[in-house]
Amino acid sequence: MNKLWILIKQLYKQKVRAKSFILMTLLYVAIIAVVMFWSEIKGLFVNEEGLEVALVNETSVELEPIFLSNEDITFSFPTESIETLYKQLEEEKFDAVVVVEEEDEKLKADIATFVPLKFNDQSTISSFVQYAGKIYGIQQLNLTASEADKILNAEAIITNTNLNEGAADGKSEDQKQSGIWASYFVGIVIYFFIMAFLSMITTDVASEKGSRALEMLLVSVKPGTHFQSKIIGITLLALTQFVIIFGFLFVLLRVTDDGAKWEMVESILNELSYSYVFYVIAFLFLTIVLFLIIGALFGSLVSKVEEASQVMTPGIMIALVGFYVMISGVANPDTLLIKVFSYIPLTSGMVMPLRIGATDISTIEPMISLAVLIITVLALYIVSLSFYKRSVLTYSSGGVIQKIKTVFKVTT
Amino acid sequence: MTLTLEHVVKKYKDFIAVNDLSFTIGKGEIFGLIGQNGAGKTTTFRMILDLQDQTSGMIAWDGTPIKKINRDYLGYLPEERGIFPQMKVEEQLLFFGELRGMKRDELKKEIDFWIARFDLEEKRNSKAETLSKGNQQKVQLIASFIHKPKFLILDEPFSGLDPVNRDLLKNAILLLKEKGVTILFSSHQMDNVEELCDHLCLLKRGVSLFSGSLLDLKKQYGKTKLTLRTNVSLNDLKKMAGVKEVKVERDEYVLTLLDESFAESIFDVVSNGQYIEKFSLDYLSLDAIFKDKVGGNVE
Repeated sequence: MNKLWILIKQLYKQKVRAKSFILMTLLYVAIIAVVMFWSEIKGLFVNEEGLEVALVNETSVELEPIFLSNEDITFSFPTESIETLYKQLEEEKFDAVVVVEEEDEKLKADIATFVPLKFNDQSTISSFVQYAGKIYGIQQLNLTASEADKILNAEAIITNTNLNEGAADGKSEDQKQSGIWASYFVGIVIYFFIMAFLSMITTDVASEKGSRALEMLLVSVKPGTHFQSKIIGITLLALTQFVIIFGFLFVLLRVTDDGAKWEMVESILNELSYSYVFYVIAFLFLTIVLFLIIGALFGSLVSKVEEASQVMTPGIMIALVGFYVMISGVANPDTLLIKVFSYIPLTSGMVMPLRIGATDISTIEPMISLAVLIITVLALYIVSLSFYKRSVLTYSSGGVIQKIKTVFKVTT
Repeated sequence: MTLTLEHVVKKYKDFIAVNDLSFTIGKGEIFGLIGQNGAGKTTTFRMILDLQDQTSGMIAWDGTPIKKINRDYLGYLPEERGIFPQMKVEEQLLFFGELRGMKRDELKKEIDFWIARFDLEEKRNSKAETLSKGNQQKVQLIASFIHKPKFLILDEPFSGLDPVNRDLLKNAILLLKEKGVTILFSSHQMDNVEELCDHLCLLKRGVSLFSGSLLDLKKQYGKTKLTLRTNVSLNDLKKMAGVKEVKVERDEYVLTLLDESFAESIFDVVSNGQYIEKFSLDYLSLDAIFKDKVGGNVE
């Protein structure tokens, strides 16, 4: 076994057995499980009774069949007077009394409550009333049931044709929506992995340097080999966590609800092209490696592990900026801000997949962004390697700039 | 198999850490590099270990530039202790051994031998961070030579060790010497250097003040340390010809002579043809020579 692999093996074994790694992985798994089973968990802890609503229909149209009860809301149609019902409302026999009547050929509804309703309950009742309003309007036109059904279910068929042959084929709204979801997911994954593993690599290098174990190691291995072992070891660790978390997620999706959730994910995945998947994997991998290089380099600057958080801050801030730009793009992926950040190597991994998935981007743009990212990773790797050799045995105090100055001062 | 440094210089922007340093260490020799803090010892070690580049000069192992030799030939114990706090003792030694090209089976035998020798049997499966400072130092010391290096550098190996462990370490160093390992070490404790070293180099602000055998260094000063037990008074001793300084140590006088040739006349006076309990003429201690060379006074 060569020295690089001995170092990688040692790092991997040490980190994968570390309590912090195990706990973090379990935490992610637990969060996924909670999200997946939220309705069941909610049912266990929150014993909410359905909303009781009394409906008084004072119109000539039969609206009662529209107000169908479900597990969240129960409609009843009492025949008592409105005053009696209001009294019962005060006695909390109902949560709301809805009185619908005609006014200027429109449906008017009054929702009376004694205890104010929650926002969600208000919205639910409103949506029922709005639908009833449509039915009422159709009834006023004396249409047959099938005519009414046609109106209510009418949907325009939209196709996209782009006459500019140079431009990429226009994506359908469904494809863009799937692209947004997938990219949002990728952005979150990149962000969380950067946060966890940037910190891990910086702390690890800083702790070896601070404990002087690094001096022992560097007698046997070249600083470059040590640097590579950190990048590869932590990348393997990230992959391990990735496989555990997404393996668990995959199993849950397949097993729960008879695979209904997996079908939903599949429908999103089916809308994604192979090139999109390729770009997502490439951007994900390269962005994580880029941040790991930065983490290892910054870790080599500090003199003791306590200073690691100080040098990590710039990297974390950049990742945060990329994340928020990506979030802003979920609402509107076509802004100039998104375009600019999709080319900046440190943020392109989070932003460019969004543009590829959710906008009609030309094929050359992701290629340019990916090429810029690859060149940056390679250039930063070469520069970092040279700097790492100098900084890894230099001990100094002060801020990041002061530390860099000291490295140059004592090594040139 | 010798280590040779020829006219080695290490210059930084605003100071020279090592200036024109030359010495040779033969196979199986113990060589001491001594000097005050900041004298350039660690920089010299780092250049030999190829952790830093020299500005000029040549460092070679058996004629081959040090950069080109197999790094597994080297062993190093840094001045500041560095082991992996979370790793168990045996695991740690296996890791360092494997990293330097040793096979696991062979390593296990070596580990068993040294763990027993350094009385660490009970700590074999303990995490390094749970060990006392002295035990951590022993583990790190074993880690530095577990792979059977040909050349071993020990930077301040005795600091922080109690007298029992110091003896254990001394014996281990002598055992390694017997096995043909060439050892270069630094220490501020001159008695250790004096006991172990065949040759030494005395550094002051990066410049070599002396490089050669310990005996040659002592001969430079001659036998000027006279220890005696006598009834002659302190004042009378001070007045004697050739006496530079007199100190009282318990029931003895320690005289520093201008030259060893005065010893005979002093003997005649203090013994006066009678029995004398103690009259001992010695070379100066390395500690005294060190203080004199680097700026202090001779005792």
